[in-house]
Parts: sequence; structure tokens; C-alpha cells
Amino acid sequence: MHARGAGNRYSAWSLLRARVAGSGYWQRMWGGAKLEPAYDVVVVGGGGHGLATAYHLARDHGIRHIAVLEKRSIGLGNVGRNTTIVRSNYLLPQNHYFYEDSLRRWETLSRDLNFNVMFSQRGVVDLATSDDEMGTLARRGNAMRLAGIDAELLDAKALERFVPRIDLNVPRRFPIIGGLVQRRGGCVRHDAVAWGYARAAAAHGVDIIEDCEVTGVRSAGGVATGVETNRGFVKADRIVFAVAGHTGAVGDMLGTTLPVETHILQAAVTEPIKPLLDTILIYFYAHAETYILQSDRGGMVMGGALDGFPSYTREGRWSRLEEVVQGAVELLPQVAGLRILRNWAGTNDMTMDGSPIMDRFVFDNVFLNGGWCYGGFKAIPASGAACARFVATGTAPDLVRHFRLSRFADGNLLDERGGGPFPARQ
Amino acid sequence: MMKRLACPFCGPRELEEFTFHKTVAEPGSSAFEAVYERRNRVDSSLEHWQHVAGCRAWLLVHRNPTSGDVLDVKVLG
Repeated sequence: MHARGAGNRYSAWSLLRARVAGSGYWQRMWGGAKLEPAYDVVVVGGGGHGLATAYHLARDHGIRHIAVLEKRSIGLGNVGRNTTIVRSNYLLPQNHYFYEDSLRRWETLSRDLNFNVMFSQRGVVDLATSDDEMGTLARRGNAMRLAGIDAELLDAKALERFVPRIDLNVPRRFPIIGGLVQRRGGCVRHDAVAWGYARAAAAHGVDIIEDCEVTGVRSAGGVATGVETNRGFVKADRIVFAVAGHTGAVGDMLGTTLPVETHILQAAVTEPIKPLLDTILIYFYAHAETYILQSDRGGMVMGGALDGFPSYTREGRWSRLEEVVQGAVELLPQVAGLRILRNWAGTNDMTMDGSPIMDRFVFDNVFLNGGWCYGGFKAIPASGAACARFVATGTAPDLVRHFRLSRFADGNLLDERGGGPFPARQ
Repeated sequence: MMKRLACPFCGPRELEEFTFHKTVAEPGSSAFEAVYERRNRVDSSLEHWQHVAGCRAWLLVHRNPTSGDVLDVKVLG
């Protein structure tokens, strides 16, 4: 434990006080914690899921000694590499109830964390290019509405009203005929999510240790006793792995198999332009996929399908980027002249059915929070709350019970896309 | 970074000509493990690929998924 100070509470009042107090009023949001030799819970991975889990363990379950061990620095992993979209437009009940819980938490997160995460409910629109796709979207929308989640099927006219910048008369190889919108979906500033959770967790007494890489798990008598790190052994009663794209590598470290493969997903952002798109568009056409939104800074953020083969390299293949950009230009010809400012890739722990894993793992006191595929960002608030409850009480909450590892063996797969056990195609 | 694969029949070709099919199961795997479980070694991955836009041969590709290096390409079978 260390002296951490409660931190500043952000408000109009604190702005005034800072003005009076002058420099030195604002405290660090986190950092300065010293690694202790033993903890009640060690969370491996300081990304969104790890930080949220630690935050809820401390806030909701009163666990005092928690460490989050991060290999590099807070915010440099997938929590800062995603395209910031949050939504709960899933077909399967096990998925849409969970992601709806997450979406509701996003709606109040800025208040809960006392940190503005810039949540913008600008709507998420899945576009259809054929009658078959309209039928599939209608089915998904109806499943959501039965669960009390907002969904609205848009025909071409309604779509043009909702997204005036899409000109449906532009000749397209795969003409757009309608879509499904979830108006409560939207985007969040991802860096703020990492910082907000880190700050809130630190304020609740969580030790956030950066540059601390876990290299192994020590066990005795079939129970994990702690983790080996580059700073020595850390004793832990319970261990949570929330390492996103490195879930497979953790399996390798522990010498076990997992229903997971690591694949690469790319994204790109253009130079900033004036407001063009005030919603989020997802465009499936033939074999390819492009989704696009405009960031608050004005850049057009876009991404598409996985690269298609297992890799930890974070280096995307050129043809995929080309395909994403082609889709973006077909969708919004206005962006054709823009320059790409940055493009990057992230690693995704793709499961065999495209749904996540939250379960005990190898040892009874080791928990795995992973397999989020390319959709982990939107799950952060619900995942943190559920994982914390699982770790604190020893029982998986109803919302995540079906995310167990044994579902592959007992045949209860959550195959949202119906694509079979091919991680590259989820 | 992997940009090309050397097909035993056609020589080095652009990666875009090839399609990844699946990761080869560990020796001694059960049918269930072969379908659903992966060992995820960080330095070694044995995979089935096909030279789809070329000679259409099925290939056994040995790669290092961390460095991206191709270690070996053989004709499958």
C-alpha cells in the first residue's frame, strides 16, 4: 500500500478551487504505486477489462489489496487501438442482454467515473445491399426489440432521412437498399475510458503497476499461489487474466490449449475534415466489410474484416486496408480525396464461436476474462462488473454464465454469425 | 512482415494469391480438440493454406506468428 491521496474530484467547483489554489492543485490520476509482495487479487493486463475489473472489485466488493499489472503503459494496448464503437445489436439473447447491460453502463459511465468519456449516442447503422440481408437485419432487430433493446428497420427513404450524406442514387456495385439502426449505439473516446477507469481504480486503492510483465504462474498443490514477473514473484490469492489479444499467448505460457486464435484487425483514420457523418455506418458487401465513423476531431475512422490468418505481429496486410478504403469510397464518394493520416492493426483473441470467455482457467483461483474477439471495447463496463462479481463471490453472474469455457465441449456454442468453428471468419 | 509465400510449384508469390484455411492440430489431439482447441504457441504455427489464385495446391506452412517469418512451406500430403 502507498499514500495515494483521494485524487481530485472533477467539477465546476474544483475548477474554481484550482483557479484559486494555482499550480499544483491537480493531482496525478494514477501512478506512483509500489509493487507489494502479496495481494488479494492480481489482475494481469491494464487494459479496459483489467482496469474495470479491478475498479469494480474495489468499489463493489470491498476487496482491499488489488494490483493491476501492465506489461507496458496504461492505454497503449487494445483499449487505445480500437475504433471506439459501442452497441448492443446482437441476435442471440445471451449476447444482446450482456451487451445491453454494457450499453446502459456506458450511458452513465462519465458520472460513475467522474471522468468525461465523451460518450456520443449517434446511432449505429447496419446497411443492407439485398432483400436477403434486409430479412436478416429484420430478424436481428426483432430479436433485440423482444428483449427491450431499441432497433429500427430503415427502408431506403428512411435511411436517406437518417443519413442524408449517403446518396442512394450513386451507382454502386452493391446498391444499398436499407438498414437497421440502433439509435442508442454510438462511440466513446477510448483513451478517456482507459484513463477514467485507471483514475477511478487508483482512487479506490488499486495499485496500478506499469512496466510489469507477467512471465508465469506459480502453483502448489493444484492451487495458483501467485505470478512470476520481471520484478519478481507476487503472491496472489486470486489471479485474473484480462490480456485481450494475448489470451492465446497466456495459454501457451501455461502450456494449455484454448478455443482461441489470435488474428489481426486493421483500422485507419484520415486527415480531419468538417462534419460529414453524424452516425456510424457498417457496410457488408459481397465478401468484404467496411465500417466508418467521423471522430470528434473530424477524421474519418474506418476498419473492416480480420486479416485472415493467425498473427501476433500488429502488422496488417495491404490488401485488407485497400479493401476497407474501397468500401469507404463506395459508401461515401466524398472521402475519396482524403489522405490516410494513420493506419494500424491490433491483435484479437478470436474464439471458435465469436463469443467471449469468462471462466476459471487451469486453476480454481485463476480467472480468464478474454476471447472478446474484435468486440471487446464495447463490453468493458459490463465485463468489469461481471468479472469482479465472479472473482469476489466465486459464482459466475447470470449475464456471463454462458461465456464458460466448457460450452464448446457440451455443444452450447454462442455462434452469433453461424459461421462454424473458424476464428478467422467470425 | 509476411508479404509473400514461396509456393513449392510456382515460387515466391504475393500473399493475396493464398488463402489460410486452418491451424493444424497438435499431434495426438482428439476430434474435439482438433476442431475447437488451439495450442497458440507464440513462436510456431503450423497451418494449411491453399494457393487459390495460382496452382491451387494445398500447402503446409510453418510460420512464426510473433515475428511474421515464414519458416517452411511444403506441399500438403
